Amino acid sequence: KEPPPGAEAYIPQKYPDNRIVSSKYTFWNFIPKNLFEQFRRIANFYFLIIFLVQLIIDTPTSPVTSGLPLFFVIAVTAIKQGYEDWLRHKADNAMNQCPVHFIQHGKLVRKQSRNLRVGDVVMVNDGETFPCDLIFLSSSREDGTCYVTTASLDGESSHKTYYAVQETKGFQTEEEIDNLHATVECEQPQPDLYKFVGRIHVYQERNEPVVRSLGSENLLLRGASLKNTEKIFGVAIYTGMETKMALNYQSKSQKRSVVEKSMNVFLVVYLCILISKALINTILKYVWQSDPFRDEPWFNQKTESERQRNLFLKAFTDFLAFMVLFNYIIPVSMYVTVEMQKFLGSYFLTWDEDMFDEETGEGPLVNTSDLNEELGQVEYIFTDKTGTLTENNMEFIECCIEGNVYVPHVICNGQILPNSGGIDMIDSSPGVSGKEREELFFRALCLCHTVQVKDDVLVDGQKKSPDSSRSCIYISSSPDEVALVEGIQRLGFTYLRLKDNHMEILNRDNDIERYELLDTLSFDSVRRRMSVIVKSASGDIYLFCKGADSAIFPRVSEGKIDQVRSRVERNAVEGLRTLCVAYKKCTQEEYDEIHELLHSAKVALQEREKKLAEAYDQIETNLILLGATAVEDRLQKAGIKVWVLTGDKMETATTLFKVLSKDEDLAFIFYVSCRLSNDLQDFGLIIDGAALSLIMKPRQTGSSGNYRELFLEICRNCSAVLCCRMAPLQKAQIVKLIKLSKEHPITLAIGDGANDVSMILEAHVGIGIIGKEGRQAARNSDYAIPKFKHLKKMILVHGHFYYIRISELVQYFFYKNVCFIFPQFLYQFFCGFSQQPLYDTAYLTLYNISFTSLPILMYSLMEQHVTSDMLKRDPSLYRDIAKNALLRWRVFLYWTFLGVFDALVFFFGAYLMLENTTVTINGQVFGNWTFGTLVFTVLVFTVTLKLALDTHYWTWINHFVIWGSLIFYIIFSLLWGGIIWPFLSYQRMYFVFIQMLSSGPAWLGIILLIIVSLLPDILKKVLCRQLWPTATERTQVKITFLLYNYWFYCWNQKMRRAGSHR
Amino acid sequence: MAINYNAKDEVDGGHGSNLVVGSHTGPGNAIGGSGPKSRRPDNTAFKQQRLPAWQPILTAGTVLPAFFIVGLIFIPIGIGVFVTSNNIREFEIDYTGTDEKDPCNKCLFWNDTKPCICEINFTLEQPFEGYVFMYYGLSNFYQNHRRYVKSRDDSQLNGDTDSLKNPSKECEPYRKDGDKPIAPCGAIANSMFNDTLELFQMNESSLIRVPLHKKGIAWWTDKNVKFRNPPGGNLSEVFKGTTKPLNWPKPVYELDEDPENNGFINEDFIVWMRTAALPTFRKLYRLIEKKGVLHPTLPVGQYLLRITYNYPVHTFDGRKRMILSTISWMGGKNPFLGIAYITVGSICFLLGVVLLVIHHKYGNRNNSADIPN
Repeated sequence: KEPPPGAEAYIPQKYPDNRIVSSKYTFWNFIPKNLFEQFRRIANFYFLIIFLVQLIIDTPTSPVTSGLPLFFVIAVTAIKQGYEDWLRHKADNAMNQCPVHFIQHGKLVRKQSRNLRVGDVVMVNDGETFPCDLIFLSSSREDGTCYVTTASLDGESSHKTYYAVQETKGFQTEEEIDNLHATVECEQPQPDLYKFVGRIHVYQERNEPVVRSLGSENLLLRGASLKNTEKIFGVAIYTGMETKMALNYQSKSQKRSVVEKSMNVFLVVYLCILISKALINTILKYVWQSDPFRDEPWFNQKTESERQRNLFLKAFTDFLAFMVLFNYIIPVSMYVTVEMQKFLGSYFLTWDEDMFDEETGEGPLVNTSDLNEELGQVEYIFTDKTGTLTENNMEFIECCIEGNVYVPHVICNGQILPNSGGIDMIDSSPGVSGKEREELFFRALCLCHTVQVKDDVLVDGQKKSPDSSRSCIYISSSPDEVALVEGIQRLGFTYLRLKDNHMEILNRDNDIERYELLDTLSFDSVRRRMSVIVKSASGDIYLFCKGADSAIFPRVSEGKIDQVRSRVERNAVEGLRTLCVAYKKCTQEEYDEIHELLHSAKVALQEREKKLAEAYDQIETNLILLGATAVEDRLQKAGIKVWVLTGDKMETATTLFKVLSKDEDLAFIFYVSCRLSNDLQDFGLIIDGAALSLIMKPRQTGSSGNYRELFLEICRNCSAVLCCRMAPLQKAQIVKLIKLSKEHPITLAIGDGANDVSMILEAHVGIGIIGKEGRQAARNSDYAIPKFKHLKKMILVHGHFYYIRISELVQYFFYKNVCFIFPQFLYQFFCGFSQQPLYDTAYLTLYNISFTSLPILMYSLMEQHVTSDMLKRDPSLYRDIAKNALLRWRVFLYWTFLGVFDALVFFFGAYLMLENTTVTINGQVFGNWTFGTLVFTVLVFTVTLKLALDTHYWTWINHFVIWGSLIFYIIFSLLWGGIIWPFLSYQRMYFVFIQMLSSGPAWLGIILLIIVSLLPDILKKVLCRQLWPTATERTQVKITFLLYNYWFYCWNQKMRRAGSHR
Repeated sequence: MAINYNAKDEVDGGHGSNLVVGSHTGPGNAIGGSGPKSRRPDNTAFKQQRLPAWQPILTAGTVLPAFFIVGLIFIPIGIGVFVTSNNIREFEIDYTGTDEKDPCNKCLFWNDTKPCICEINFTLEQPFEGYVFMYYGLSNFYQNHRRYVKSRDDSQLNGDTDSLKNPSKECEPYRKDGDKPIAPCGAIANSMFNDTLELFQMNESSLIRVPLHKKGIAWWTDKNVKFRNPPGGNLSEVFKGTTKPLNWPKPVYELDEDPENNGFINEDFIVWMRTAALPTFRKLYRLIEKKGVLHPTLPVGQYLLRITYNYPVHTFDGRKRMILSTISWMGGKNPFLGIAYITVGSICFLLGVVLLVIHHKYGNRNNSADIPN
């Protein structure tokens, strides 16, 4: 409200209304603005230019050939964008019209949200969302406080307390509020959520105005909602697009996939090829024409106007005409096909039953299909939940106890036992003593670790029954440990928690066993093992030791070492991470000794480290070997690194960082924080937000980049990185750091809360979890999945498929258009560079639209070079396509040269066949259109068969479209040449195709040329497969071999049965 | 500041927030914000990408037989084609007359009103049996030049009366002569080949004319469907109001006496109108019918070719040839196809052998080593 006269100078300011605008267009500016946006895309602009050139100058092909497809593309895109914008308008309206209570002349009035102005006093009830940024005046609570949750803003779900302005907190009724006379001064709108500076002048009847400073504790932000408070009053200070929330959510920059980037590079290459082709031909044309009898022989005179045209203008139009003639090398249809492939292809993701969640009734969502193939290129995964690791990454594969191998429900003797929750023995069943050992082994694994349990009890506010204890979330700096503990859980022993120095585990009989944790001999990189000493309820003291095989075997005195060792070695060969487990039983006296030893080492003032190590060394001797475990790291096998970025605090991390926070020396931070995790070779890194901000903060001295690079260097060498206590923005910073590092790796961020949004938006691919706590992450993500565990299939299977499909699509499109256009280019050398097209207009137009469009589209939707089960089971196949492998320059050049070779074969094959001879039985001769049709027929067959050679997954649809396209081509050609078309001004194709087919040599020639064109590709395929097979190709062979074996087996069975019946 | 802000979130989610709409919305369509209705996907083979499929792989083992088969089929075909092609008799004579000694040299700069006639003697060393085809061949003649190819009006040639009187613009500058439309219009028609070739067999003292048939040289469909005279009885009546192409000595309705071979359906004209693919080409001129089983159509001996030399080609460095050729099932003489077949067949066979070696040397390593049991 306006200050009373006499106050400081006041400059009236224009405030926006409280309207939120997210739509891009209005009804009036839609067409011009949308067209402008669309033609800003370089490809569309290029096609527009080509179309205009065709309209203006005399070109070899009609404008329809390029105008029609362009119009189609533009129209479809415009309709789609118009619809999306209409939806946004609707959402905006709903938002802007939602009712708000505010005070007017002492009365409570309901108004639409958009009519709210700065200075209005608003009332908000419990549970409602604040309609704009408000200064908190008073609340229904006595003490002038209110509770607010800002989960949708920063992801913190805890309730925060806000304070009303001291002078106004007593106002409880509308009248009182209305009598308030005050001015608020505040800073200009700015996006920082936690910063606000302002002051309020409250004018009271006779007294001097009271001035109060305002801070962020007085500011209620739009988007936050009121909790546990009946109602509050507040005065609007920032409205509409000036609210902190609106300022915070910048537009999402459009993400582009690697494939799209390569495609654009290839396009530029082809554009250069096109321009140079046109240029070469134009120059040669004028060289060739320098003889007047060539330029204008008596039989082929120019018109008067042509003759008088300026030479440079002529040359320029010639250049443009060549451009038009060759422009099909960059076809509009490629864009259409790519868009269609992405759009339709993304349906397979949403249709996937494996990724459907029964509980919530939700399947995956695809918010943008632009990035489908990027899922196949992921190198770094950023997640805020350890769950991502255990559900997708680490998998407990088997354990070996006393030489007997136990496998948690997996494929056993070729049969899948899906429901056996327990274990299956592969070898003979153990005796009674074996049973004991087995249980001891499981207990050892259950106890010997540093895993923390994040208790769900606190989160959900209700006690879980013991059998649902699976929902315990285990947290550890080492994913292996989590995988182990979870694996053991599946085998019947559940680690519950560490309470009062007692570890609680739930055994197979659902009884809780308590062990007193006496000592932990922590892990370090030199010993490569860790131990715990526990005391069971019955008073027995055990030492359990777990570590690398080389660290355990020398210290073992008893146990079936040889069997275990052979198993461990086998697992190591298969790329599994193995750990050995051993134990030792101690008497109380022995333990006292050990304790004494440890204690003296721990309190030693000098050489503590060394003494501790010596003590450990002394203690961990004379062990009894129990067995070994094997864990598979799937994503690492796939070449993906996983980083956990979380806001949670972790005990392990904090204890470390307590030391750190005192020490400002960052080099030391790295030294300390970079500790070895339990793996054999791989480092894991733990860092917390505070340390990270030190790293990210540019130093005053100026050399800002140093720590970052150092940090990056260390992180890149770690297989697992865990960042805890991260602010939302820091998560994005980390992602950005990796994204912009030297190799430009592809990053994927996955999260479920609003605090993950920044990271999801920043990463190349953002995945949201459709969770209970709101849908912010899901809405802002590129893809949303119901559960973390679906990530594996999404990346390893769908991402892989999408990538191979689209890369083949892109390469094939360029290839088939090289094949298509290069003969035209060659023909110019034989027709006096006159831009005479080799093919008929119908062929030119329909080649990309119908003759060769469907097979590649279907291929790019259906192809599976390896089955999805295999892809899921063997993550190393993912490495085959890493780093954009199928769109590298080498591959691109191969395809291009193949295209050029094929084009040479088509053209010169036809040339040698028809040159100066006759190929019909009645001596009649063929003309230029027959020549073109012959080339075109070979072309259509070759490129289609080339795709057939590449197809590895022949469903009936593939058969239908591939053979169907060829048949369609033949039928079309027969029809096209079969009648005199009344609407055409020329009948050049009349009976050309049929006459060609009536000639025997034409058939022979077509077959020969097709085979010659395909030969190099077949040879390359066979040789590469034979001599340098990729993992994918090996798998293909393996599958076929297994299938063959299976059939053989079935056949044998059948025969045997038939035999026995007889 | 461009903000993409989704108000809808606040409405249905209760959590205010942000949104963003990429250029492209996938099928999930997050914008719509659908309710909690179950969207359980159908368990169909198609949607789950489990359609039954044949999954062939190109290994040396599978491709090997194909290579051998191709080799085994191609080589005999190639030999057959090659032999056939070799058995075809072909005789070619260049009568351009650029050389001083050439009999036709005199016609190069002929200034008389009477047409220039020159005669060339030649000897056939081998007898020509069966049907013999007489071609004329032109070189360096760009019938496939774009300006030339499009310079015709197919409607006019199809007998359309409107186009007859008002030919297509594509015919420029051969569209109208003065005010009168040209029939047939265009550069192709205007430059029709107009040398006359006659063949005589020289017999001790006398010349025996070899009968040349001028029918059956054009595609049947062209003659009967694509090319048609404008409707009406008398051709000269029908073409009234039009004028002859500039270079023609006679109007189109005087091309031949035979009404079945006159006007637009004159076969020489139709043959010419089919533009050649390459600058060196031949066109069928006449047929020589076979005399019977016992006598070769053209026995060994001396012949005389009498040319009425009208067609100028030396101005653009062109050549004119007369070709006599017999024909087999595969047309005229063309060694390319046979050689190509033999070559490709042998290459395939060779590759088959190479692959066989590779397969045996490396095959075991790949196929069995990886496969457990």
